[in-house]
Amino acid sequence: MLSQASAETYYQSYAVVLAVLAAGVLLVGVAFLAARLIAPHRPLPAKLTTYECGIDPVGQGWSQSQVRYYIYGFLFVIFDVEAVFLFPWARIFERLGYQAVVEMGIFIGILAVGLLYAWRKGVLKWV
Amino acid sequence: MPWLSVTIFLPLIGVPILLFWRGIPDPVARGVALLASTTTFVVSLGLLGAFDASTPGYQLVERATWVRSIGLQYLVGVDGVSLFLVMLTTLIIPIGILASGSVTRNVRLFMACSLLLETAVLGAFLSLDLLLFFVFFEALLFPMYLLIGMWGSGRRVYAAVKFFLFTMFGSAFLLVAILFLFSRASGQFGRGTFELTKLQHLSLPPATERWLFLAFFIAFAVKVPLVPLHTWLPDAHTEAPTKGSIILAALLLKTGTYGLIRFNLVLFPEASHYFANAVSILALVGIIYGAIVAMMQSDLKRLIAYSSVSHLGFVVLGIFAFTQQGMSGGVLQMVNHGISTGALFLLVGLLYDRTHTRQLDELGGLADITPLLAGSFMVAALSSIGLPGLNNFVGEFLVILGTFTANRAFGVLAATGVVLGAIYLLWAYQRTWHGPPNERYRGLADLSRVEITAVAPLLVVMLVLGVYPKLLLDRINPTTNKIVQQVQVVRHDQRLLARGGG
Amino acid sequence: MNPTIDYHAILPELILSGTLVVVLVVDVFLRPPRKWLAMPLSFAGVLAAFVATLTLIGADRTTFGGSYHVDPFAVLFKVFFLSVAMIVLFLSLRYFREGRYYQGEYYFLLLSSVLGCVMMPSSRDLLMLFISLELVSAPAFLIAAFRKNDPRSNEAGLKFFLIGVLSSAVMLYGMSLIYGVTGSTNLYEIGKALAGHLGGQETLALAAILFVVTGFAFKVSAFPFQFWAPDTYEGAPVPVTAFLASASKAAGFTGLLQLMFVAFIHQAAFWGPVFAAFSIFTMSIGNLVALQQRQAVRLLAYSSIAQAGYMLLPFALAGHGVDKEAFAAAVTYILIYAIMNLGAFAVVVAVSRKSSALLIADFAGLMRNAPLLALAMTIFMVSLAGVPPTAGFWGKFFVFRAGIDAGGIGIALAVVMVVNSVISLFYYLAIPRQMILVEGPEEPMRSPALVTFVAALAAAAVIAVFVYPDLIAHFPPLSTLVGS
Repeated sequence: MLSQASAETYYQSYAVVLAVLAAGVLLVGVAFLAARLIAPHRPLPAKLTTYECGIDPVGQGWSQSQVRYYIYGFLFVIFDVEAVFLFPWARIFERLGYQAVVEMGIFIGILAVGLLYAWRKGVLKWV
Repeated sequence: MPWLSVTIFLPLIGVPILLFWRGIPDPVARGVALLASTTTFVVSLGLLGAFDASTPGYQLVERATWVRSIGLQYLVGVDGVSLFLVMLTTLIIPIGILASGSVTRNVRLFMACSLLLETAVLGAFLSLDLLLFFVFFEALLFPMYLLIGMWGSGRRVYAAVKFFLFTMFGSAFLLVAILFLFSRASGQFGRGTFELTKLQHLSLPPATERWLFLAFFIAFAVKVPLVPLHTWLPDAHTEAPTKGSIILAALLLKTGTYGLIRFNLVLFPEASHYFANAVSILALVGIIYGAIVAMMQSDLKRLIAYSSVSHLGFVVLGIFAFTQQGMSGGVLQMVNHGISTGALFLLVGLLYDRTHTRQLDELGGLADITPLLAGSFMVAALSSIGLPGLNNFVGEFLVILGTFTANRAFGVLAATGVVLGAIYLLWAYQRTWHGPPNERYRGLADLSRVEITAVAPLLVVMLVLGVYPKLLLDRINPTTNKIVQQVQVVRHDQRLLARGGG
Repeated sequence: MNPTIDYHAILPELILSGTLVVVLVVDVFLRPPRKWLAMPLSFAGVLAAFVATLTLIGADRTTFGGSYHVDPFAVLFKVFFLSVAMIVLFLSLRYFREGRYYQGEYYFLLLSSVLGCVMMPSSRDLLMLFISLELVSAPAFLIAAFRKNDPRSNEAGLKFFLIGVLSSAVMLYGMSLIYGVTGSTNLYEIGKALAGHLGGQETLALAAILFVVTGFAFKVSAFPFQFWAPDTYEGAPVPVTAFLASASKAAGFTGLLQLMFVAFIHQAAFWGPVFAAFSIFTMSIGNLVALQQRQAVRLLAYSSIAQAGYMLLPFALAGHGVDKEAFAAAVTYILIYAIMNLGAFAVVVAVSRKSSALLIADFAGLMRNAPLLALAMTIFMVSLAGVPPTAGFWGKFFVFRAGIDAGGIGIALAVVMVVNSVISLFYYLAIPRQMILVEGPEEPMRSPALVTFVAALAAAAVIAVFVYPDLIAHFPPLSTLVGS
């Protein structure tokens, strides 16, 4: 126990924290420095463009995108992820009994509320 | 009858009426406050009657558990030291209310503050439980802060904040010291307590005792105030409304000197001896410094404020002489100062209501225009100087006598303070009232009937106490005798110890 | 097999969960002028949960395999959080009805956060603790940014979010290390494991504790992790700030209390000094910066940082033989602090209707225009400063007492706290000074009845707790969480 340990080991325990900290900073610093020193530096206009899947970028980096994509993406993820929970449940729910059915009902019910909410807020309308 | 509780909490009865009756007419508000405080005074007369002069200890003790989990008790009791401070309080508050005719804004709040203050001051004087005392001691601050800040003059906000912070600064350490005692008590007695009579028997190592003494001392020295912690006082006094000044001078400062006797001396007798000379020197510095600075003031109210610093120095000097005369004189002087300086502040306030100035060079020649006011001022000033036949004489005499037997040099220096006091007060009297009549003030009204009712009791008390101080001393002496003995015994023990050890 | 669940033990949580779903559904069917009905609906739910909690008084039930524990400590805090929730609902009604806000969503998010708070004191498992904490924080990020049109509110939400996520990450890392060392996520198990021989992993365990503590230090805005708080408090809608400064902060402290006094208590000699440093710096920095504030909410924000410093002090006393006392002092302080702070924010909500900038100067003349509010605010400020006759005095008192009983460093800490209390007077007095001593424009102020009610109630509570401190101080020592 710590209270019985000598004062020396007590401070040593801090020293290790410090050492880990220093090592972390050092590691990152060395990596950056090494990259700086070793890498050849020959900038070309083509090299300085933003990397976007290998296709030439179009327009500015700050561009507007249709916010509806975001919401659709969101809805998709929610209902897609739901399946991850449903499949294992479907395999064993017979063994778990009615409780499991109720619980899954609640789970889907809450998701349904989400859909209801999205619908009432007019998210599902495209135009 | 639970005299003490009734006395402490009676003023509170008026507070809810004043706070929650929003449309209360001003005269009714005044009436309610006056009624509550005069009833308290009448009750305190009963207390005086119930007090047994021959018993030195605490009397009429009432005890109830307040917070069981921390051993906090509601424990009040009265002895010769606190008895007359209580009487002083119950007398001064209604007089202050009578004298606050010039207050026209927020009258009901003003009156509520006055009554709250009365309860807090009485509670502080009567508590025999340290934490209970602390609670009352702190509860004083906010009503006083409002009294100065809301109804004061000039730089009232600055003065109010300064007052609050100074006193808070002192009492913060007091709380730590009290808790330290509590903690030690739980170590030595098995359970913690804040009870004064039990904590007295705590055995503390001398070094600890000295630290605790200092923590208590700072809290009380700010209140007294002792130089160099006095700087809040002139500002607070000058800017406070009349009633505020009266309460400050007559009552709040006394909580400091009272605390020194009740707690510092009794709880830390060894440390009290250890620091006695240092404290006495501070007191002497206060006496002389206060007097000299008072002499140089151009504002009459500020002058009296500095005279308080000087007078309270006497009280502290008397207490720390550890002689019976000194201590009795100190206690007597607390009451006397409350009455004389209270009266002076009251009269200056009444003067200011008429002339709207307190500058000495703008005053003068008023004696013919307002003879009653001038006469009253003269009596109060003479009392404050220590004219034989008036109250202060006996107290100052006892203090100087007591100090002289303890330390000759201190006694001589204190006596010079009396001389200086005579100089500045008489000079102030002359500059205010005599000289060529001032055209500006022609036609000013003399004291009204209400004002006379406020002033007269104080003058009567001055005279009575001057002629017949035995009335007080008979009740004060047994207690101070006991305290001095307690403190001396400790000193004796120490000598023996030192001899044995050496 | 399916573990059996003690439904009675989690009834308050179930009611709250049901309510927040219902609020969201009902809201989407309400017409805009009637959207405010979400508030009474939420209130009914919270009240039902409150009653359900009252049936659990004296209970000692565990469920979810020991990770969820309903004991006196938990019930005390559940009652407290639900009361705070009701008060915040009162404060919110007019504020959100009059501004152009999404009311249904607001109440939904607020209730979610409350649910997290209510779960927190029962969570005796690292995972459960983490879920509760996230449930407290995540909705709070959103409602902090609810004044959409004000960039300051956006800043409030964003800063809060970034700091919150960062602290969660740090904390989670620490928790994973603890699991690695002890092989358990249950707090009692961890406590037992850390008491025994760790086989060379002591250092790792200490590092893990440090990470968890750091994560919580962000949540409770302890120095040097306090910088987000003033901006967030200032930008967020005032009722939300009231919630953040009282319930959310208290939730952080309940989590911290359980971790430190149950799971990590055997390492107290290690983290005690850390907390001592936290405490001293947090209160001093909070107080010193508060001195320079001109804006009321920022002032209260820095004051709440300073107050967090006072609450951290008892932690530093762990392992000095006064664990139970220190624990009780911390709990008492948190409860008392929440009452007076909520009251102060209630008055700020009322004043915010007059002036949205909420400068301290805007309080001028309040004594004449709204005497009741001014009186209440004065009581709260005096109480926050810890001056009798107010509840704040006892809060400080219990902390002082624990410190002095601990002796040694405890006395030093108590003295530092005393000095800080005196400093804090400077700025706490600033508001009463404006309200009472400075003349303001004469315009009668109309404050919503519910807000006035909250202010008056809190003021009455502050005085009542002063007169009889056992109203609050009686309960924390009953907690069985900490052995003497």
